Amino acid sequence: MKKYIKNTKTWMLLIPLLLISCNKYLDVVPDNIATIDNAFALRTQAKKFLYTCYSYMPRNGSMGDDPSIVGGDEVWSFDYRGAYFDIAKGNQSIVGPLGDRWNHYYRAIRDCNIFLENIARVPDMEEFEKNRWIAEVKFLKAYYHFYLVRMYGPIPLVRENLPVDAGVDEVKVVRNPVDECTDYIVELIDESMANLPADINDPAEELGRITKPIALGLKAYVLVMAASPLFNGNTDQAPLRNPDGTALFSATASVEKWERAARATKEAIDFAHSSGYKLYYYRPDFQQYKLTDTTVTQLSVRNSITEKWNSEIIWANTQARSDDMQRLVTPFLDPVNLDITVTKGELSPPLKVVEMYYTENGVPINEDKSWDLAGRYKLRVSGDDEELYIKKGYTTASLNFDREPRFYSHLGFDGSIWYGQGRYDDGQPNNLLYLEAKFRQRNGIGKEGFGTVTGYYIKKLVHFENVIATSGNTYSVTSYPWPLIRLTDLYLLHAEAMNEAYGPGPEVYEYLDLVRERAGLKGVEESWSQYSMNPTKHTHQEGLRDIIHQERLIELAFEGHRFWDLRRWKKAGEYLNQPIVSWDLGQEVAVNYYRPVVIFNQSFGTRDYFWPIDEGNMNINPNLVQNIGW
Amino acid sequence: MKKALSILKIPSLILVLFWIGFNSGHAQGLKISGTVRDSISILPGVSINIKGTNQGTLSDNNGNYILDIPGANTVLVFSMVGYLSQEISVQGRETLNVMMKPDVSSLDEVVVVGFGTQKKTDMVGSVTSIKPSDLKVPSSNLTTALAGRAAGVIAYQRSGEPGQDNADFFIRGVTTFGYKTSPLILIDGMELTTTDLARLQPEDIASFSIMKDATSTAVYGARGANGVILVTTKQGEIGKAKLSVRVENSLSQPTTDIEFADPVTFMRMHNEAVLTRTPIGELAPSTLLYSDEKIANTFPGSNSLIYPANDWKKMLFSDHAMNQRYNLNISGGGGVARYYISGSLNQDNGILKVDQRNNFNNNIDLKSYTLRSNITIDVTKTTEMIVRLSGNFDDYSGPIDGGADMYKKVVRSNPVLFPAYYEPNEDFRYVKHIMFGNYGQGNYTNPYADMVKGYKENSRSLMLAQLELSQKLDFLTEGLSIRGMLNTNRESFFDVWRNYNPFWYVMSGYNKFEDRMYLTNINEDSATEYLGYQEGRKDLSSTFYMESMLNYNRTFNEKHGLSGLLVYIMRNSLVANAGDLQRSLPFRNLGLSGRFTYAFDNRYFAEFTFGYNGSERFHEDKRYGFFPSGGLAWSISNEKFFEPFKNVVTNLRLRATYGVIGNDAIGAPQDRFFYLSNVNMNEVGRGATFGRDYGEYSNGISISRYSNPEITWEISKKRNVALELGLFDRINIQAEYFKESRSNILMGRSSIPVTMGLSAGVLANVGEASGEGVDASLDYSQSFASGLWLSARGNFTYATSKYQVFEEPTYKEAYRTRIGSSIHQQYGFIAEKLFIDDYEAANSPRQNFGEYGGGDVKYLDVNRDGQITGADMVPIGNPTIPEIVYGFGFSIGFKGVDFSSFFQGLANESFWIDAASTSPFQNQTQVLKTYADSYWSEENQDVYALWPRLSPGINNNNNQRSTWFMRDGTFLRLKQVELGYTLPAHLAEKIKTSNVRLYVNGTNLLTFSRFKMWDVEMGGDGLGYPIQRVFNIGLNVNF
Repeated sequence: MKKYIKNTKTWMLLIPLLLISCNKYLDVVPDNIATIDNAFALRTQAKKFLYTCYSYMPRNGSMGDDPSIVGGDEVWSFDYRGAYFDIAKGNQSIVGPLGDRWNHYYRAIRDCNIFLENIARVPDMEEFEKNRWIAEVKFLKAYYHFYLVRMYGPIPLVRENLPVDAGVDEVKVVRNPVDECTDYIVELIDESMANLPADINDPAEELGRITKPIALGLKAYVLVMAASPLFNGNTDQAPLRNPDGTALFSATASVEKWERAARATKEAIDFAHSSGYKLYYYRPDFQQYKLTDTTVTQLSVRNSITEKWNSEIIWANTQARSDDMQRLVTPFLDPVNLDITVTKGELSPPLKVVEMYYTENGVPINEDKSWDLAGRYKLRVSGDDEELYIKKGYTTASLNFDREPRFYSHLGFDGSIWYGQGRYDDGQPNNLLYLEAKFRQRNGIGKEGFGTVTGYYIKKLVHFENVIATSGNTYSVTSYPWPLIRLTDLYLLHAEAMNEAYGPGPEVYEYLDLVRERAGLKGVEESWSQYSMNPTKHTHQEGLRDIIHQERLIELAFEGHRFWDLRRWKKAGEYLNQPIVSWDLGQEVAVNYYRPVVIFNQSFGTRDYFWPIDEGNMNINPNLVQNIGW
Repeated sequence: MKKALSILKIPSLILVLFWIGFNSGHAQGLKISGTVRDSISILPGVSINIKGTNQGTLSDNNGNYILDIPGANTVLVFSMVGYLSQEISVQGRETLNVMMKPDVSSLDEVVVVGFGTQKKTDMVGSVTSIKPSDLKVPSSNLTTALAGRAAGVIAYQRSGEPGQDNADFFIRGVTTFGYKTSPLILIDGMELTTTDLARLQPEDIASFSIMKDATSTAVYGARGANGVILVTTKQGEIGKAKLSVRVENSLSQPTTDIEFADPVTFMRMHNEAVLTRTPIGELAPSTLLYSDEKIANTFPGSNSLIYPANDWKKMLFSDHAMNQRYNLNISGGGGVARYYISGSLNQDNGILKVDQRNNFNNNIDLKSYTLRSNITIDVTKTTEMIVRLSGNFDDYSGPIDGGADMYKKVVRSNPVLFPAYYEPNEDFRYVKHIMFGNYGQGNYTNPYADMVKGYKENSRSLMLAQLELSQKLDFLTEGLSIRGMLNTNRESFFDVWRNYNPFWYVMSGYNKFEDRMYLTNINEDSATEYLGYQEGRKDLSSTFYMESMLNYNRTFNEKHGLSGLLVYIMRNSLVANAGDLQRSLPFRNLGLSGRFTYAFDNRYFAEFTFGYNGSERFHEDKRYGFFPSGGLAWSISNEKFFEPFKNVVTNLRLRATYGVIGNDAIGAPQDRFFYLSNVNMNEVGRGATFGRDYGEYSNGISISRYSNPEITWEISKKRNVALELGLFDRINIQAEYFKESRSNILMGRSSIPVTMGLSAGVLANVGEASGEGVDASLDYSQSFASGLWLSARGNFTYATSKYQVFEEPTYKEAYRTRIGSSIHQQYGFIAEKLFIDDYEAANSPRQNFGEYGGGDVKYLDVNRDGQITGADMVPIGNPTIPEIVYGFGFSIGFKGVDFSSFFQGLANESFWIDAASTSPFQNQTQVLKTYADSYWSEENQDVYALWPRLSPGINNNNNQRSTWFMRDGTFLRLKQVELGYTLPAHLAEKIKTSNVRLYVNGTNLLTFSRFKMWDVEMGGDGLGYPIQRVFNIGLNVNF
């Protein structure tokens, strides 16, 4: 027995192991784990949540997040441009819809609601600042709803968040009629208005945050959109009804909607003016060169977009910088550095967009009495008159001659002068950069994955002071945040709303002419009565509507408007069934090159006006109805 | 080869040292030696005693023994657990080879079970043992031997790349759709990984048990739901030091070779792909096509730099590799301490080529070392202490991208754009670097450059230390003992890359008349002649484990066998680079388990087991789970009434068990504390920028999990019924039927629409699944008077699974629901054929997956709604994990020669050819020859061709999951053949050894399958590193 007791010493060692308390052993989580409560414990954290609400803003100008660049008919591209380009090519479907943003914006709205529910709890904030942040988030909530309505039509509104453990029936929401959606969006914007600043006091820190002029501008756009034919009395959409029979579109058009829109556009313009916003004009006070009027007008047009925070930018999206877009559209400009690969020269306007621009007389090419429409594809050699537009002595198509200044400010083409990018002395036009875009030339097709696919380039979005290094792969881009609302946009919206509500009148001409004047054109009345084959077009509502639409398509080209405007006007069916046409890019000589070639036949039907709802979402929530045609 | 030779020297040196050591201590007298085996294979560990004395020895790893005997008429007693003891008189012989007969009704044969052993005849639970000798395959990876070796194991191997060739294996299939589906692997009680199991040496294994049902796994409570693999390593035995050396050299080569179309066909088909898909007047295609001139001047194998025609595969891979394996172990001991020490070195080489202009090796070279030391010390007569120390070290050197990726790169490399490299010409006399070829901007894959541009090294170490103390407590009450064990392991891994940036040269011009080529370097700025350096991941983890056990085992009145066991375990593990706070917190398990058995008269058996476990993952209220199970068994053949049949039916036994097992490894490994929300307070993806010059930026906040305190254990209820049948002492049959239902499976609430705006899925324990099947095995063995012996065996596993409750939308179409389908059932479209032409495509139900036309896959509109959408996806094919795995083999021997072969197969498995990654021309992908031989073209509108209409990129319409690319994974293969020759003992002794066996074997020699494109076992991923066929020669010497 003694021996055994001695032995126990060894195994006694084991006993403590048995006795280790198991109570606390599994409590491995310390107390200070971050939970959602931490987000509103201090102002600094709450600010992060405010920024979270902003973070859902679209990345305008990004191929992956902006349907309006390659999703329509404004530009054409290489085959591999992704989901939105596939929409342009007619491949949309209910199976994982291309460019679907349903999920993204509903998450955004939920975060906005979380912010609104909790911001009152933050202890170390002044009331006025809280109110301002609340106003901003309400605006964002309105914007995200608006974005969904623009894409999908009527949507389920999320006025308040449902709890995570909400019942199965409660979460199966229905779509709200379009008019309810509009009213709710406007209501949110109106609520935000009182506490938004009229201007930004601390530009270095806060430019890009929401102000009152932005809110008024968005309200104007929302109401114009709601009054437009797509949403106002669209009989095509009459069959779209909820399971309980509620119609989601009103079947009869209402002029009152235009009147309401016109009031809103006017209010937005007046408040913007009173806050100091005005149309941008280039003032060449920092260059040593005395620039010609031609160049000054060009720079006024180009810089109204590319000069950041210029006097007509009401809303620029600081979450969407233009840098990538500028690299994407800039061609191989400098003949001494053709090995550069950061400039892609992609995104090519097709011929129909090229032909959309007015003649030098400010009227469409098919109306201008003095412009040879039939001979537009014939060759012509440039002379002294246009040496700031087309390289002197260069042979190009007649189509490129005698066009309005915006044509030359917005587009690059075979033989066109490209002002800027290090060459600023327009007194020596020979010294300015120009493009050569035929086959085997530096701006022609051939370098795989680079260059134009139609024969045209976008110049408008490229800041004229960007510098392409003479060797190596460096292209320093002058960045600008993507402009969402410019003053010209509001002018054109107002002209449109006034014409629709009340017909032609001096107020319509006044705002159209402000836009035309900056573009170097004469007023509507003068231009049409003097140069158009249809000299009274502007005097009746329908004619003037066409004029307003065309003015808008030209002025706001490549800024992401055409895609939505054609839909809103219900004109996409007309435009997006036209072929995409380019020059014959595989040709080395002008006579062969300047032959129009169809490169794609787009097709667009009623269903394409709205995105389909993912069939998966339909299965989960049978209360959702699918958009017409999908 | 040079390297391999130098490595060979090390063990031979050790060998010589031992030799000297042994010879010096030898006494000269009468000696007897021989080999002990059973009908299936050689038998290590058989005890050989001189009758009436304590003197004796054990047979070594190769079944050999050598013993000094007092006289020519000495009687030897051969005995081993599970075999009938034999007494044989030496009668003056020097050599005595003995065949041990299994004792089918042996009362002593034991099976290793959780925390102990049980007599085989007392077993109630379902445990399969694999004999370690069955795991001897010519591979450095033990897991590759598992398929078809044991009833109840579903196993298959998808890759043959050294270091990446672990087989996938599941015990009785997969019955959950949670993340953890693999069994618990315990080596000497320590929870380890598949890789650790893969590195085990068969020589070191004392027992290998697979626990399949509830009662056998219940003691592991929370961890045993997917079955348990329990391995114990050998201990030393009393006796003289015994040394065993095994040396193997093997040649391995891919089982199948993927063929590509020749370069001219490649270019022709490429041009066809561009033109056939080009819509009206698309961008001047001339720029995208191969010119007629180029096609006319390109010949396969012409080696022209102007018109390259690369056979990348040949350029990158040799047709075989040589691998070496060395194993050495020594064991022995005296009364107080016994030892078992082993070491091994395996070297596996890849089949990649090396560029001699570099002075580094970019081929795969995996050296794996193991050192193991098990020391048993009798502290007192009743106290035993075991110290186990082992280390496993992998040193890997290989190409930057890894072996499988090199194979994939070859597929994605254009064969005709540029040669692998240019020889320096006049213009580049001074160039010291390799002038790699490229094209355009240098953005093309040059697989040769990628392979030889550098190498990566990684190193993995696993160190284990274990202390076990056991104490008999018979002084308190007879049959009581206590045991404690502490162990810890440290695992580390790091990765280092060294490579240069290749210089790319493009041909900028060629003067036909002077035959002069102009080359341009296009990346002077970024290319380097020197190696750069990059650090890879560094993983560290540590685990501590403790168990205390109280054991009671006693038989009363010779009829009532009673046993009880209580175990308390604690496990803590930490990882160094978890990535976020919640993941960095320790992983813990805590449990109390028990087992109580009662046996009456060797006829009736009852067992009750339980596990009471805690997991740190759940909310306090849900943290502990109690998992009981129980079973009964009846040995009919031990009943009195059965006596008359006993001559024929030597064993007849019925068993049944039922129990509940838990699983806390649910959701995702990194998703642990379900009761807490997880918020990232610095989410980059939710940041925003403001300010004139974007001067103001802040990250945002995101929620990645919503809290749910209700989440708890996944529960598995298992049933098992088994029949054991022994016939004529020669045939053993064991058949089991099992059924399992899992509930509380964690899954996403798919009833929540997107309009809720949730940024993370909401999970709940709502899923349920079930599984059922049978596994069976049959052994047969017989020896004849002539000395010929023969044995055969086979096993079969059939395991199915089914979704029982799965939250999904309410579909209009009944066939869309997953409920009732296998967990690994795939859903897809029914491909009817290829469209004859565009007209047919335009007039068929619209297919919503991008552009399509004539020659593209036509899908069946199952619900007849006029378009092809997700609603037309139906269950297609068999599950992706095979439902049937089986193996069978035989061994035959006569005198010193033995021969065995083993077949293995699986069935009820489907896989899909990866249409996206084999799609020709996208990313410069080459054309598989099988595609070139059968595809739809405008000239040959074969609507049942293997490959649809060509296209320059991936055609999304054809790339849908459908029956078009579905293939049958069924195969049967000749897994292993071995021929061995054992030197007669008198010869062996002449060269001062106790036993010498020379053997040759081969694996994966033949495969029978309808699928021919690549090795069918690789499934859909056939473009990776191929499975290897191995020819091996080995020598086993014992001293």
